[in-house]
Amino acid sequence: MRKLILLTVVAVVMGACASTKPPSEKLTRVKSSIQQAEQVGADDFAPLEIREARKKLDQAQELVGKKKYEEAKLMADRAMVDADLAQIKTLSEKSQKAVNELRESIRVLKQEIQNNLNK
Amino acid sequence: MKLITIHTLIGLLSVSFILTGCGGPPQNNPLLSQAQTEFKSAESDPVVVSKAPVALKEAEEALEQSEKIWKEKGKKELIEHYAYIAQQKSKIAKETAKLNAAQDEVGRAEGERNQVLIEARRAEAIAAEQRAQKALGEVKTVRAEAEKARQEARELANRLSEMEARQSERGMVLTLSDVLFDFDSATLKSGANKAVSELASFMQEYPKRTIQIEGFTDSVGSAEYNQNLSQRRAEALKNALMNNGVSGQRIRTIGYGKEYPVASNATEAGKQQNRRVEIIISNEDGVVKQR
Repeated sequence: MRKLILLTVVAVVMGACASTKPPSEKLTRVKSSIQQAEQVGADDFAPLEIREARKKLDQAQELVGKKKYEEAKLMADRAMVDADLAQIKTLSEKSQKAVNELRESIRVLKQEIQNNLNK
Repeated sequence: MKLITIHTLIGLLSVSFILTGCGGPPQNNPLLSQAQTEFKSAESDPVVVSKAPVALKEAEEALEQSEKIWKEKGKKELIEHYAYIAQQKSKIAKETAKLNAAQDEVGRAEGERNQVLIEARRAEAIAAEQRAQKALGEVKTVRAEAEKARQEARELANRLSEMEARQSERGMVLTLSDVLFDFDSATLKSGANKAVSELASFMQEYPKRTIQIEGFTDSVGSAEYNQNLSQRRAEALKNALMNNGVSGQRIRTIGYGKEYPVASNATEAGKQQNRRVEIIISNEDGVVKQR
């Protein structure tokens, strides 16, 4: 019973400690996620989403500067989902574009075959 | 007056604060509602459910967290934070499903493209085959025509085999030796009958053709006499042909006398060769190439 109380106390203390430190690791992961999205072409295919991610990353860093670590952590989490969405949206749009181009090339090919047969 | 007003105001404000605090369910949070709508639309799509289960699950957890805090009347910032996470995760799930579908589509389209390419080659092959068949047909036609012409020439030659027939640049030329004429005479011997009737039947068979009969002598005697003799001999052959039913219009005669010898007049054998009648058969248009 005493052990349990002790553990609870430790957990509470640790929990409290989490928000007393800047969420540096989280911010690093957000940055790398944004970079990945940029690399696949998010600025062209998901401009709003990538912009939102960058804005939230900046805000998170400002909050760290103001030592509002808990708020910074939440902001970083939101930046993260924005960056992830930007990346997946970019990939999905690009694939759709590839599909459309393929379909067009098939259409042109079929047209050419038809023209050849009619010659 | 002023005091009363302020008191009344404070009182009213207090009442409204209390009312808000005691109010039944918490006020609707627009961001949470939005997240719920977004999640529902993602969850109801079977493609999203099968292709993006992880993102969908994360969206659900964030949404539950948001709803829990909302029910406990927790911090608005936290409700909206988890609502936002839930909303974005729902969108990620949808985009993941779209990406998957597009990739499947690329695979299918590539397959179709290959199929079309195979068809294109086949269509090209069929067209080439048709062209080849046509060309082959043309070659066969030409060859058949050439064969027919050769056959005709062979027949012509065979029919006239009794006479000395040869192909020259002027066309087919037959030579009747002077042995078919009496010496110094323009009368055909009976031995010439066979040659004459063959020539006549040939001309009836090939009505488009005409002939030119040219008479020649050796160098013995005057030019005038020889020219006259050669002319009469050519005429004699013409008359014989007309007696065999050939129209005189198709026969032209010329006496060349001692012109155009084919051998030397110094020997008896040469003179014999020079005394002759040549028959030149026209082309199909009835034209004889002149000397």
